Parts: sequence; structure tokens; C-alpha cells
Amino acid sequence: MIKITNLEKYYRTEEVETVALNKLSFEVKEGEFVAVMGPSGCGKSTLLNIVGLLDDPDGGSFLFNGIEVAGFNERKRADLRKHNIGFVFQSFNLIDELTVFENVELPLIYTGVKAADRKVRVEEVLDKMQIMHRRNHYPQQLSGGQQQRVAVARAVVNNPKLILADEPTGNLDSSNGNEVMQLLTDLNEQGTTIIMVTHSEHDAKYSHRIIRMLDGQTVTENILV
Amino acid sequence: MLRNYFKIAFRNLWRNKLYSFINIAGLAMGIAAFILILQYVSFEKSVNGFHRNIATTYRLLNENPKGETWPQVEPGWAQKAKERFPEIKAYCRFEEGVGQGIVRRTTENAEPFRETNVGYAEGNFFEFFSFNLLEGNAAAFKKPNVVFLSKAAVKKYFGKDEPIGQSLILYNQFGKATYTVNGVYEIPVNSDIRYDMVFSLETLSNPANLNDNDWAQLDNLSSQYINTYFQINETADYKKLEQKLNTLRNELKKDKDGLVFRLQPFANVHLPASFSDNYQTTGNLKYVYILSIIAILILVIAWFNYINLSTANALKRANEVGVRKVVGASRGSLVLQFLGESVLVNMISFGLALLIVQLLQPLFNTIIEKELAFTSLLSTPAWVAGLGLLIVGSLLSGAYTAYSLSGFNPVETLKGKLVKTNKAVVLRKSLVVFQFSISIGLLLVTAFIYRQLNYMQHKSLGVNTDQLLVIRGPQVDKDSTYKQRRTAFINALAQQSFVKDYSLSGSVPGNGYNFATSGFSQPGSRKGDELKSFSFALIDDRYLNTYEIGLKAGRTFTQPETMVEWNDNDKVLMNEKAIEELGFKSAEEALNTKVQWDERKLQVIGVVKNYHHVGLQKAIDPIIFYPQSNSAYFTVRLQTDRIKDNVAQMETLFKSYFRNNPFEYFFADENFNKQYISEQQYSKLFTTASVWAIVIACLGLFALATYTVEARTKEIGVRKVLGANVFTIARLLSKDFLQLVFIAFVIAVPVVWYTMYRWLENFAYKVQLSWWVFAAAGIVAIGIALLTISFQAMKAAFANPVKSLRTE
Ligand SMILES: Nc1ncnc2c1ncn2[C@@H]1O[C@H](COP(=O)(O)OP(=O)(O)OP(=O)(O)O)[C@@H](O)[C@H]1O
Ligand SMILES: [Mg+2]
Repeated sequence: MIKITNLEKYYRTEEVETVALNKLSFEVKEGEFVAVMGPSGCGKSTLLNIVGLLDDPDGGSFLFNGIEVAGFNERKRADLRKHNIGFVFQSFNLIDELTVFENVELPLIYTGVKAADRKVRVEEVLDKMQIMHRRNHYPQQLSGGQQQRVAVARAVVNNPKLILADEPTGNLDSSNGNEVMQLLTDLNEQGTTIIMVTHSEHDAKYSHRIIRMLDGQTVTENILV
Repeated sequence: MLRNYFKIAFRNLWRNKLYSFINIAGLAMGIAAFILILQYVSFEKSVNGFHRNIATTYRLLNENPKGETWPQVEPGWAQKAKERFPEIKAYCRFEEGVGQGIVRRTTENAEPFRETNVGYAEGNFFEFFSFNLLEGNAAAFKKPNVVFLSKAAVKKYFGKDEPIGQSLILYNQFGKATYTVNGVYEIPVNSDIRYDMVFSLETLSNPANLNDNDWAQLDNLSSQYINTYFQINETADYKKLEQKLNTLRNELKKDKDGLVFRLQPFANVHLPASFSDNYQTTGNLKYVYILSIIAILILVIAWFNYINLSTANALKRANEVGVRKVVGASRGSLVLQFLGESVLVNMISFGLALLIVQLLQPLFNTIIEKELAFTSLLSTPAWVAGLGLLIVGSLLSGAYTAYSLSGFNPVETLKGKLVKTNKAVVLRKSLVVFQFSISIGLLLVTAFIYRQLNYMQHKSLGVNTDQLLVIRGPQVDKDSTYKQRRTAFINALAQQSFVKDYSLSGSVPGNGYNFATSGFSQPGSRKGDELKSFSFALIDDRYLNTYEIGLKAGRTFTQPETMVEWNDNDKVLMNEKAIEELGFKSAEEALNTKVQWDERKLQVIGVVKNYHHVGLQKAIDPIIFYPQSNSAYFTVRLQTDRIKDNVAQMETLFKSYFRNNPFEYFFADENFNKQYISEQQYSKLFTTASVWAIVIACLGLFALATYTVEARTKEIGVRKVLGANVFTIARLLSKDFLQLVFIAFVIAVPVVWYTMYRWLENFAYKVQLSWWVFAAAGIVAIGIALLTISFQAMKAAFANPVKSLRTE
């Protein structure tokens, strides 16, 4: 599903140039659950942003379902992204002015789903995430675990083939964290490909494979399953 | 999708109440000022537009070699021109001022009123112009001794009685005459011609009705006193007609006075087509432009607030933008969303603006001295342009914010570190500088106008106008007993303990001169001096004393000298300026030399110290004082603190000698200051405009300060933990803003200096553009800004650092 070869990304500030990704290569097959680990600053988030088509690489090749997407313009990336990819962040990133229902509904609005269908689908996924009873609450009124479940709901409501999670349990206590990991595992079992960045060896155990990074490169891969 | 946008827009407004309030209030204030001024501009543009034939109607003007024009022409031209030039379809003459006098009903003991806003007009007046006749028919005005009344005049004289067929007596310089009311008309508010009542000019075609005023004969070509309008064929070229009229003038005018005729399109009589068109107008194009500019500047300040606040608010919105992009929003859809929000904010502001307009209408009307209403807007298509400007401006300011907000990179915003691009910061600062330049500029203009006005009102005039009451002389019943009654009245007045001094005169300071004329010379004059114009004031022996005007040399008139017949008199007084104009080196020389006035020889018996007979806009004129017991004005110097009672006593006295005359009086100082009405109007206008602009700009500054403080809460907390005190922190937060206000000040100063320099050129006597006024205005502006910011800065500086650090 994803094939990355010699991917490069630099950040240039006035004085220094940081190499965030240094000729990095790896592959993810459809249906896989991959964890990405590594010390802080090694380029995990950068990688995830590029895989998620939020950012553009500076070099190398990135095949998404066999199509070369490195060099896609913003509009094309946005189009590909909204139909195929869901995101879960460490800090939830819900919109404070929207209710739980409306937050989850948002991706459907941007993909042009009709209002009646939206209602059905949003309720279905809220049900699945067991957050239905909070549908009219605002994010501030929820606990961290609940907020992350809403965020997961939002990530999956469009039935994306790929979910990218950047430290999804980073802001949660262990029981809430485990709950979110269970949700991701369930999704993966239903066929969704998942790439998850994490600092937690415990969370990483939910995955099939761990990619370890250092200084913008992959160093080892542990196959768990 | 749209609903979603509006929903989130509403919630956003609601959540950020302070921000929304300031944004909406500022915009509403800006739009309200704009609408009010647009009303005025629309009104001014609509004046006279209701006349059906305006496009083919022209006003005849006289123009002198200096390029000055005036509409009073000799009455004889109209008929001569019509006979000669077939392109003239019709003409209409009417005068303003000559016919004024006292009017009363014929019934016994009817109350007399002085009518200044009346005149004689051509028989076709109601056909030529498009006034609405409520009663009577237009043709009825063609007969002599007919009067048509406005609705207000009907009410004043006849109350609820039927006016048609009734009679009114008019006492004026043409004597006493009775007129039959044959019509009632209505004049729209946007008409320049505003007679309260109009008498048929035909009356004056009978020499018996002229009371020996031969100058007023309707076919004469020597007295300029009447307005003449022509209606010409649609195909005719008025410039060609103008040439022909001048040829006619040269042919028939014996004394070559150097004047030429001009034809002014009726459409340009109120407002000229452009500033290069120098013909006399009844409206003030400059004022229209100044107001339009103020309107746009205030609106721009409000829009800049909007842009500044919206982009500053973006710090908060960044996360939302990021999330929306991650879940699939395209930039276009975000632009639409933010545009929607701006439309919403603008619509709310517009609604609020309409409310403010309603509330402020009376205040605005007093400032500009017009009776405007919301409907004034619709009187010309100007409102379409205005509304267009409003919409375009709102869309542009909305589009700018939408564009900049939607451009956020989600990767960065979601990381929580919104890189403040230099471009955005520079823009925000420039907008603040611009807003404050305008505000400070208006403040400075206000200060100088106020100073000039104050200066004119308080500069020593060379005449003491305090406690001087002026009674208008009688005009009715000036029969053979009049002189006797007048003497008796004056004597009775002099007896009163509150009368310190009194005088009879033909003119008084503040009300102009009796007339001006030329033809003076003395043996030492140069050639051409006889063309110099001298102003005449008719005074009695007590005038100088009563007004406390100083004599430089010689003496004033004696009482017997004021009784000498006009043509037999050879004694005059002159002011210093007059003897200087005549080429005398000293007052003594003037006293010892006879002055030639055409065929007559005059002896200057005294030289009067220069004093201001007219407003300080004008330099002191050369004045010749001519002795006469003229009773146009009775001036009384009072020594009393019971003015009200004393005025009542004088009225009783006046009425007992001049029964059918209205008792009318004014105070000399107030009357003199009436000459500054236009400056007072500017002063009020600029005061209001600058307050308005400053309030809007400060609203914006306040909100920006709030954002800055919010954005720097953590920094402030850290600094406090590290030992910074309240003062250092308040200074840190205020410094940047004050810098901007200072830059704005530096920009405003030269612009204002130049503008005020040009404005002050209108005045012969003027204030200096003192540096300290600039400095003071700068300090005031910085003070206001500091006050605005300091609230937020102090709040932040005093806040508990532990709290601010924890919220991160
Ligand atoms: N916008 C940016 N400008 C400059 N350098 C950046 C930027 N974003 C990331 N970097 C640099 O790129 C490198 C990789 O950053 P990245 O955020 O991908 O690390 P990470 O592995 O996700 O770290 P963490 O585990 O702490 O989240 C770092 O050295 C970082 O300093
Ligand atoms: Mg990271």
C-alpha cells in the first residue's frame, strides 16, 4: 500500500538546515499495523505527516497504492487524503466550537456526503466508540479518553483505508490508553491499515511490526507477529 | 455546509464576546458615520434636481476681471435678450433681499412680522420652476399686487382661516402696498429657492409703486439686483448664447464697467461640476468633499480594525484551520467559510449601524445644519455607489482575512506553534499606524480650527461689543410724524437708568456696510486710485462713543452735522486704512487736505482708529463714515444685570412710538460672532469626526492589546518568576504600541501642517501653527493610547504567574 524509497526532508531556518528524514525507505502492506519508534527528534512526526499527505517530501519516492504522490500539489494531496486517510493525534485536535457529533461529521461534510447519510454514519461510529450518549457535548466537557475516542471516531467515519496515529495515548492514563489501543486493534482487524508513532513499548506490542528510527533513518525492524 | 459555517461563525462570535463586540461595534460605528454622511452627500447632490427643465435652464451671472461672479444682474437684460435671441424660450427674474420688509394682515391690530426671506418674482415663476401649487393656479401670479404663500406663511398669518382672497400689507423700501393672496405653494427641502412668500414682480412695473426708487425699474440696465434665469432650446449651445449676450451687453451698456456675462447651468448652481468651476454656487462642494473624505477615512479605520482583529484572532483559529484541513477541507472551502463569517459580522454591524443612524440623526443634523432623514439617502443614485463601496469594502476586508487564515499550514498549526509570519505582523502594524495617523490628523485639525475660531471670537476688535443691544429701526408708518416720534423715542430711551449710551446708525459691526463705492482721490493720489473701493457706514454723532471706537485725530460729527441733507454734506470721517489707501502719509495730512469724490469735495474731519467692522476672515476695509440720522439700527449700551426686564421695558417704549412695527433686537457680540458660523460648523464637524475616529481606533487598539497580552501570558509569567516587576512588564507590553502611535503622529504632522496652512490662508487674521499644539495633540494621542493599552497591560502585569504558567 505504501512504498517509500530514499525519502528526504529538510527544514531550513535562517541559520541551520536540519535533516529530518535522511534517505529513509520502508514499506507498509495493506492490512498491516505498524508502530514507529525512536528518540525524540528523530523524524517520526515528519514521516507521518508526509505519509499522511499533509507535507511534501524534498526528495525520494513515495508510492501510495502504486501511484507516485511525491510532488503532488496541495489540492491533489487534499483530495487523496480526505478519501483515504484518517488521523489521530496526541492532543486530540477537536474543534472546540463544534459538538462531538459535529466534529465527527466534519470529514463527511468535506467529502460531500448528504446530510441524512451523514447522520446515519456518524451515529453508527459514535455507537461503536461508545460515546453516543455524549453526542451533543462540546470537547471541553469530555475527559481525555473520551476526547480521544471522538478523535478516533472522526478518523474512521469516512472508512479510510489508512489510519495514522501520532502518539495517540501520549496524553492519556494507562486505562484510557489501553482502551484507545483496543479500538485501533479492532479497526485493524476489520481491515484498516494503521501506522502509529509511539514512545511506549507497551503500546507498540499491539502492532505487527515495529520500525525503529534514528536521525531520520530506519535502523531496525522487529516483526512481532 | 453553509449551515455548518454559519453555526460555527455564530459560536465563534459568542465565545469571543469581547472580540466580537469590539469588531461589530467598531464596524457599526464606521458604517453609521458613513451612512449619515452619505445622506448629506445625496441630499446636496439632489438639490434643485426636481425642476423638470433643469437641463435646459441657465442662470445669468456677472463676472468681474478678477473672476468673481454674482447672480445679481440688471433687470432690463432679460427682455432684451429674449427679443434678440430666438433660442431663449423663456426667462424668469426674481430678487432676494430687495423686497424684504414687514408684513401684516389688514385686520385691525394684526401682528406685524419682519420677513427677510421674501421677494418679488416674475409672473411665470410657478410655470418656469417646478414648485407644487397647493391652491390657486400659476397664471394668477402674473397680475400686479398678488402674493403666493408657503404653507408655513399661511399658518403664521392666517392660522386655520382660508388664505385665498385675503390681503397682506407689505412695508418695505417701496413703501406700503397691499397684496392679495392668490396661491399657496410647497417647496421641497432640496430647493435652493426658499421663499416664505413671493410677491408678483409685475407690481414694480408700475412706477407709482416704486416710491421714487428709480434704480429698481424693471427695464433698467444699471442696477444689479435681480436673478435672471433663461430656458433655452434643447439644441441651442449655451456657450454661443453667452457670447451673444456679451455682444449685446457691450452694445447697450454705456458705462464700461469691465464686467462680462456668464451662463451657469442650473444643474451647477448648487454644486459646481468640479473645483475648477469657480462660479458662485449656493452649496459648498468643498464641504461635500471634506465630509466624503471623512466618511471614507472613518470607514477605513473600521475595516482595518476588522482585519487586525480577525487576523489576530487567527492565533486562536489556527488549530481549527489545521484540523479542518487534516479532515479534508480544501483552501477554497475555508476561504468560503471565513468569508461567510465576515458577511455575518458585516450584516450584524450594518443592522446596528442603522440603529446608530436613527439615534444620531438629530445630533448630526444640528452639526451640519440640515434637516436630513434616512430618506435623504434615496434622493439621488449616490446611495448606490455608497452601498457598493460598503459591500466591496466588507468583501475585501473579509477576503483578506479569509485568505490569510486559510493559508495556515496544518502541520505547523497542529504542532501548536503558529509561526507568526513577519508579513502579517508588519501589515498589522501598518494598519494601526494608518488608523492613528488619521485619528491624530483629525484631532490636530480640530485643535487648529478651534484655536482659530477662539482667536477670532476673542481678539480685540477695536470696538466694545459687550452689553450692546441693537434694535432694528422701524419700517412701517414712516410718515410725516416719524422723525418726531423717533426723537421722542430716543429721548425716552436716554432717560432710562439702564441706558448708558445710545446711537442711531445705518450699519453696525457684524452686519456689513451700507454700500461700497469708488471715485475718490486727493491731490497726492496716483492714477488708478479712483478705482479703489471704499465702504460706507452711515453714523450719527454718538456712534463712536457708544461703540467705544477710538479716534486717532480730529473729531467726530456734531449733532447738527448729522441733520444735513445727503448732497449738501461735505464732512466725513475715515478710518486709518482709508487714509492710507488714499495715499495720505499721516492723519494730519488727511485732515488738512480736501478729498475729491466724483464732483464733490469732502473734508475729513476725523480719523477713526482701525476696528473690525466685519469678521476677522477679512482684512480691515477702508471705511468712510458719513453723517446721517439713519434709523436702520438703534444701538443701546446697557448698564444692567436685569437684561430681560429692561428689554421688556424697551419693547413697551418702542411699541408706544412705532405701533405697527415688530420689536426686534440682537446683542452686538452675538451678532458679530454669527459671521463665524461656517468655522463653528467646521469645528463641530471635526470634533465629532475626530472623537468618532479615535473611539473606533482605540477599540481596535484595546482588542489588539488584549490579544498580545493573551499571547504573551506565558512569557509574562516566566519573566515575573525570574523577578521582573509590574512596571517593567507594563512597559514591555506598551512599548510596541506606543511606538506605532508615535510613528502615526510623525506621519500626521506634515499632512496637517500643510492642510491647515492652506486653510488659514482664508483668514486675514489667524493663529500660528505653533509647534506646541502639535506636541500637545501628540501627547494626548499617546495618552489615550496608553490608557487603552494599560488596562490590559496592568492586568497581565499584576496577574499571578503561577496561574498563567499552569494554563499552558
Ligand atoms: N517546522 C520545523 N522547522 C524546523 N525544524 C523542524 C520543524 N519541524 C521539525 N523540525 C526538526 O525536524 C526533526 C524531526 O522532527 P519531528 O517532529 O519529526 O521529530 P519526532 O521524531 O516526531 O519527535 P518527538 O518524538 O519529540 O515528537 C527535529 O530535529 C526537529 O527539530
Ligand atoms: Mg513527534
